[in-house]
Amino acid sequence: MVDYQYIYDYYSNAPHLIQWVWWVSAILATGIVVLAICLKFIRSSLRRKSNEAAKFKTEYEALLIEYLYSGDESGKLTEPQKLIVSKIKDSIKTGFKRKLIVSVLYNLRNEVSGEMSDSIKTFYYETGLIHFAFERLKSKKWNIIAKGIGELRCFGIDEASHAIAPFINHPKSEVRSETHLYMVNLFLFEGLSFLDDLKVSLSEWIQIQLLETLQKFDNQEICDIRPWLNSKNDSVVLFALKLAQIYNQFEVKETLMDLLSHDNKEVRIKTIDVLAHLYGIEAKEMLKANFNELSLEEQISFFKLLEKLVAPDDEPFIEAYLFHKNFEIQLLALKILKEINFDKYIGLTKSSNDNKSLAMVKAVKVL
Amino acid sequence: MNKKKIVLAEDNSTLSLLLKFRLEKEGYELFVATDGKQAVDLIESMSPDLILSDIMMPFVSGLEVISHLRNKLNLNTPIIVFSSAGQEEMVLKAFNLGANDFMGKPFSPNELVIRIKRLLGT
Repeated sequence: MVDYQYIYDYYSNAPHLIQWVWWVSAILATGIVVLAICLKFIRSSLRRKSNEAAKFKTEYEALLIEYLYSGDESGKLTEPQKLIVSKIKDSIKTGFKRKLIVSVLYNLRNEVSGEMSDSIKTFYYETGLIHFAFERLKSKKWNIIAKGIGELRCFGIDEASHAIAPFINHPKSEVRSETHLYMVNLFLFEGLSFLDDLKVSLSEWIQIQLLETLQKFDNQEICDIRPWLNSKNDSVVLFALKLAQIYNQFEVKETLMDLLSHDNKEVRIKTIDVLAHLYGIEAKEMLKANFNELSLEEQISFFKLLEKLVAPDDEPFIEAYLFHKNFEIQLLALKILKEINFDKYIGLTKSSNDNKSLAMVKAVKVL
Repeated sequence: MNKKKIVLAEDNSTLSLLLKFRLEKEGYELFVATDGKQAVDLIESMSPDLILSDIMMPFVSGLEVISHLRNKLNLNTPIIVFSSAGQEEMVLKAFNLGANDFMGKPFSPNELVIRIKRLLGT
């Protein structure tokens, strides 16, 4: 009691600043204690959840494996399989357990092929997990829709295409990219038909993903890409140009020639690159005639095309650009001349008065 | 008759369980390791007849497991490695280190059984 009185007297007689410091210290100390209790509660709750998840995961893994090995050759569900399906049907009513089961199925489907993979898909249908994925497509939240499409893609559910098609032009790029990947993963080149209806830009990243997906399949028979080369959506045209280059589409050369006068400079440059790859000799004369009207980037691309498709009668044209003000064009012109007329090229080392140009000629000599 | 022993090093627990079930049905005794470190311990203690190893694993990779087996323990136990798409370089490294065969994921468990039988001569 005496001690408390002493503390009270000390506090009452202390200056206001000291009293204020005591108050702040007391509040901070209480805060720390409360936060420590909260932290302990959150940690134990997370640990409990993770233990629970591990327990259920082990249980579902065992059930899934039992299901996979309980099948017979008839293709119909056996009695033990029916029992397992009914057990899982009860579990998937809880969101947490449903997520866990889907993750187990997904992990295994990525690792095995053949009959096992087909059985996992059947399990996905039979347990009714497919309906939950369809429900996700109706969500108002874009991330839920994207996850739903991703899930249907992973399990190869092709009958969802009609439900997924409306998301082709979704405002969120994540939903769009999942939709595009779904189409191509399940329907290969036919799936690219979504490009006909694409109103928004196709990002570079999704283009890479689509090309990578297409190359994974054994069937590399590409469909007619001309409609996409003539698309009003420039990103679709650029993607079609990539397809033309990768799949050596020699039959679209005429369409490519038309693209040389496209409004978009990026398209024109890419077209020159593709024509160089496809040995589009027809483009050479046309570009030569309009060379001065081309932008600098197009001129560089044209010289790269010329490097591949050069003929002896191109020599006068090349000579005119041997000392072009642009380094890249000058370098390419010298390289091409060295290729088609080495004597004339050697002669340049003697006739050139400009030190800079002479250095360039000498540099190309060692290339 | 003594069962042939196989050590499986795989961090995907579902796949491990599936293969354990399948290979035990075929008459093999399976020891599962969830990472490379456990795999090395199991190999040293169990002296298996064959090793199945994923390339990408926590702590110690499949490549390190092969290297340890071939260079430190000087064992000729057959090794089959599992690789995912895009790990072609890793597969080449695995062969250079002494792997006997490889299977790209996703793979068919039936095909794996055939390869195991071929390597073990059973």
